[in-house]
Formats: sequence, structure tokens, C-alpha cells
Amino acid sequence: MKRYPHWPIHLALIAVSFVMLVPFYWVLKTSVSGENIFSYPPNIIPRDPNPFYYVDVWYAIPFARFFLNSIVVSAMTVVANVVLNAMAGYSLTHQFFGKNLVMMLFLSCMMIPFQATIIPAYLITGKLGLLDSYLGLALPMFSTIICIFVFKASFDAVPRSLIDAAKIDGLSEWKIIWKVMMPLAKSAMATNVILSFIWSWNNFMWPLIATRSSDMQTLPLGLARFMSYQEDSTGALYAFCIMVLAPSILLFLLAQKEFVQGLTSGATKG
Amino acid sequence: MTGTDEDFARPKWKRWLLNRFVLVPAFLILVTTGWNAWVFTHNHGIVAGRVLDAKGAPVEGAEVKLWAFNFTTFSVAASTMTKPDGSFQFDNNASHNIQVSAEKPGLGRSARVSIRLYFRAEDLQLKEPLRLTDGA
Repeated sequence: MKRYPHWPIHLALIAVSFVMLVPFYWVLKTSVSGENIFSYPPNIIPRDPNPFYYVDVWYAIPFARFFLNSIVVSAMTVVANVVLNAMAGYSLTHQFFGKNLVMMLFLSCMMIPFQATIIPAYLITGKLGLLDSYLGLALPMFSTIICIFVFKASFDAVPRSLIDAAKIDGLSEWKIIWKVMMPLAKSAMATNVILSFIWSWNNFMWPLIATRSSDMQTLPLGLARFMSYQEDSTGALYAFCIMVLAPSILLFLLAQKEFVQGLTSGATKG
Repeated sequence: MTGTDEDFARPKWKRWLLNRFVLVPAFLILVTTGWNAWVFTHNHGIVAGRVLDAKGAPVEGAEVKLWAFNFTTFSVAASTMTKPDGSFQFDNNASHNIQVSAEKPGLGRSARVSIRLYFRAEDLQLKEPLRLTDGA
């Protein structure tokens, strides 16, 4: 078999990576230099870089409080997504009456945007007395259909004989999920963790509606609040963006291998 | 996250603790704790420096003003007088974005020096003295 050189592919990938990373670099550069985006000629290297825009952001709004709120809500969402989606995904690997109907219902529900369900979601959360609470902020994100299918695809790849053997050994369905299936579906779990974290972390609409006190606001709301009275400070605005983005990027970098595995296993074995 | 045979040969506690999902957050917690310890031991709000005249001699009795950033503008937060050796000190700065200026009738005034601090009430010794010049 003829072997082709790798360098053209690597060169192309480097070029594509460069194009995709330039906006991130630009945000980072502006956050430490405060240089206006319209300044001409633009500087590639930041002039007189300093961290003081980050200090401004930290003190302009209760950043630590908003950060804590986002962390708590996202952590609850991640845990709930892993547990509930794994259970739902496992059930969909079994044959039962009306399974196809359930699958179709799930798929059709994916087409309904969250904005369309926000009023019932608000009413239900209100009836439960959970408005302006962490649980209320996280509740609508507790399970996502895409992530259920990621688990289902991963569980489908596990040989049926393994589950049968576990049943013969006396394991309950609950234990089969956690002792047998989950250790074999770590990629799907990582995909669930990353997706649910990012969705919850970036969520703006639901926290805007479900929170009443400023103490319960999350970072995206903080960003909107910050922009409302710091709109002239480009550097501080970009610093805020970096501070909001950093946890998501860190989580993705930590689990990117499992994330990609989870997505590709869902694509080929589903 | 498929484990190799080599991975499973390691003790369980090593597998649980020595991986990037534990080490990276642990490092971040360590850095954050260290930074907070530094902040708590250096946030007395002290801003100190010296005032010199145009010839470089210390100025006694010059009025030094501390300006703090207040939403959109700087306003005077405190003022003090210099000692015989030209030194001054503020003990109650609560801001992270300040300016200092000095003035003495007959000797002139200094430029208003902008100072950005890494955290609120950070203790600071000015490296450059404030220099009074006529008509500055």
C-alpha cells in the first residue's frame, strides 16, 4: 500500500486551527491590553499587557457570588444528567411495548425549542415553590434528549450476553447500570458531563426568568448586568468573557478525549 | 477512557488520585488558596510614598490627596500631610483603582499619579516619589 506523506494534512490542520483560534486569541489579547477593536493598525502582540481589567470585573459585580451560583447549578445539572440519562438510555436498550412510540416522542420533542416551553416550565417551577432557588434553576436542564441517545448508543454496543450474565449472577437492573454498563460507557458519561455543563453554564434565558434576587443570578446574567453599565470598557468586557468561558474550556480540555470518543461511538454504533 | 493492563496494575488509590481530573482542580485550589492567603496578609489599605520638591529635597507639610475611582470618575477619598522627611502614608485605602497627588503652596503641585492595584486595599509603597513643580 502506498504511503502518502502526512505533512500536507498537518499543514492544512494547522491552518484551520489557526483560523479557529484567532478569535480566542483576540479576546484574550484585548482582555489584557484593553485595545479597542476598531483601532488601526491592529496589533498582533498586546501592547503593555496587564491583568487589571480582570480586577475591575471582579469588583464591578459580585463575581464570586455569581460564579458560585453557576458552579452549584451546573454541578446539580451534571449529576442529574448523568444519573437520569443513564437510566433512560438503559431502558431504551430493552424491548418493551410502545418503545418506538417513546423514541418518536423523544425525537419530536427535540424539535421544540426551550423558549416554547418556558411558560409551563415557569408555572411548574413556581407551583413546586422552587423559583429563585438552585434546584429551580437547574430543574429544566436535568435531562436532555440528545444525551439520553448518547447513553443509549453506548449501551447498545455492550454485548447482550454481559447483561444476561449479570442477571444470572443476581444483579438488579439498578446495579447492572452502575456496576456493568457505566464503567463501559465512560465516553458517553464524559459527553454528558461536558454537554450538560456547557449548556447549563451558558444558559441565560431560564435564569433570567427563574431568579428574582440578585444573589441568585448566574454568570451569563452577570455579564448582561455588567454590560449595562460598563459598555465603554472593551478590555473589561473581554476580560469578563474570558472569566466566564474559562471553566467550560478547562472542562473540555480535561475530558476532550472521552468527549470525542463518546460522540463518535454515538455516530457509528447507534 | 479505556484502561490498559498497566493502568489496572497500579494501586487503586493511585488510579483515583493521580489523574488529570483530580490533579488539575487540586492545583487550582492550591493556587487560589495561596493567592487568598497573600491577599489577606497584604490588604491593610496602606499607601505610602515620599514628596520631593523640584530640586529633589524632601517636602514637609505638603498636602497629599488620595483619589479613588467612583463608578465613572475619581473623587478624593482621603488626604494627609507629609512628615519632615517628605514621607506620607494612608492607612484606609479601600479601592483597587486610585490616584495620588501632592500640593504645597509656594512649591507647586505634582502630577496626579494613577495606580492600579491587584486587589482592593492592597498595601503599596510608591516606587517613584511625587515631585512638586511650579505650575504643574
